[in-house]
Amino acid sequence: MANRATVRPRFFLFVCGMLSSSILLAGAPVFEIEIRNHLFIPSEFTIPANTKVKLVVYNRDPTPEEFESYELNREKVIVGNRKAIIFIGPLPAGEYPFFGEFYPETAQGKVIAE
Amino acid sequence: MLLNSVIIILREVLEAALLISVLLVLSQSLDKSFRWVAWALLAGMIGATVYGVNIDTISDWFDGVGQEVVNALLQVCIFTLIAVLMVLLPRQLYARESGRSLALVMIITVALVLTREGAEVMIYLYGFLRGSDQLLSVMLGAGIGGSIGVSAGVLFYYLLRNRSKRRTVGISIVVLMLVGSGMASQAAQLLIQADWLPSQLPLWDSSGWISETSVTGQLLYALVGYEATPTAIQAGFHFGGLLLLVIVFLVCQWRYRAATRLAVNT
Repeated sequence: MANRATVRPRFFLFVCGMLSSSILLAGAPVFEIEIRNHLFIPSEFTIPANTKVKLVVYNRDPTPEEFESYELNREKVIVGNRKAIIFIGPLPAGEYPFFGEFYPETAQGKVIAE
Repeated sequence: MLLNSVIIILREVLEAALLISVLLVLSQSLDKSFRWVAWALLAGMIGATVYGVNIDTISDWFDGVGQEVVNALLQVCIFTLIAVLMVLLPRQLYARESGRSLALVMIITVALVLTREGAEVMIYLYGFLRGSDQLLSVMLGAGIGGSIGVSAGVLFYYLLRNRSKRRTVGISIVVLMLVGSGMASQAAQLLIQADWLPSQLPLWDSSGWISETSVTGQLLYALVGYEATPTAIQAGFHFGGLLLLVIVFLVCQWRYRAATRLAVNT
């Protein structure tokens, strides 16, 4: 029992540490894009290289979409009329295409890190 | 739209089909019945429906990264269950027990894989169900994609089975280890995406060698969770996971082999 009592606060501190570090990291620059009529708007945007950014994708269509990028290693379903938060990077300078997996004929975009 | 839905459904079905094939080969090699598959498919469909219907709510969990966290949790559970299989399989090979726990673990493993993959398929198809003129071509594509995925699974099953029993079991266990470590790697990737694990620059870039968009890349992704530009943490989870599974298997195999020998000698 004594053992457990000493482990608990330590675990609590660990959780606090995790939480506070994620609050600090919440300072990552935010970029917002939209999905409208199965198009990304804007379809191209520039982010700082070697920096983690928070990407907010608003799906203005009633249909679901999946944000997907092999180059960014990202994949996330965005339900119709909702938004999704996706952390991307840090990325070396370069171009990183992404697409909407459900409507790839039109939903194409590119992140430029520089 | 037709080709696209073929690809989407194929990608989701392939991952589950390959895993089911390996587990079926192991069941067959250990002279177990295939009945567990029916339960796994049923449980998986229920899981996928519950997940798919609630995707809205789940996405909002944990400040908008609920999807990543739940998916990572599913992957970690699948990895753990595969580790349990590494304990149970040697026991089956040497001790020949009833195999009820083996079937149960296989059911839960496949059900969890289907929950994740199936939910995505459901969300995709549901988007077209609500009055779209592309419904027919999407459903046709889904049928074709699903059939190709299942065929690939059947092919893989015979490919594995078509050799001596010893080799079949050996290869199947290695494949299972690779699938498991891929799950660990994907869990890490999802937690990085959710910002629960620190993000880093990619460790290497093998996209020039095997592109993730190529057929080989897609197959490798479905089977072993191949990633062309992993970060150090993700690669650590991948290889650490593989090492853990190998160690668990070897230790259990050694123990049961020793125990069997002892039983034979006395």
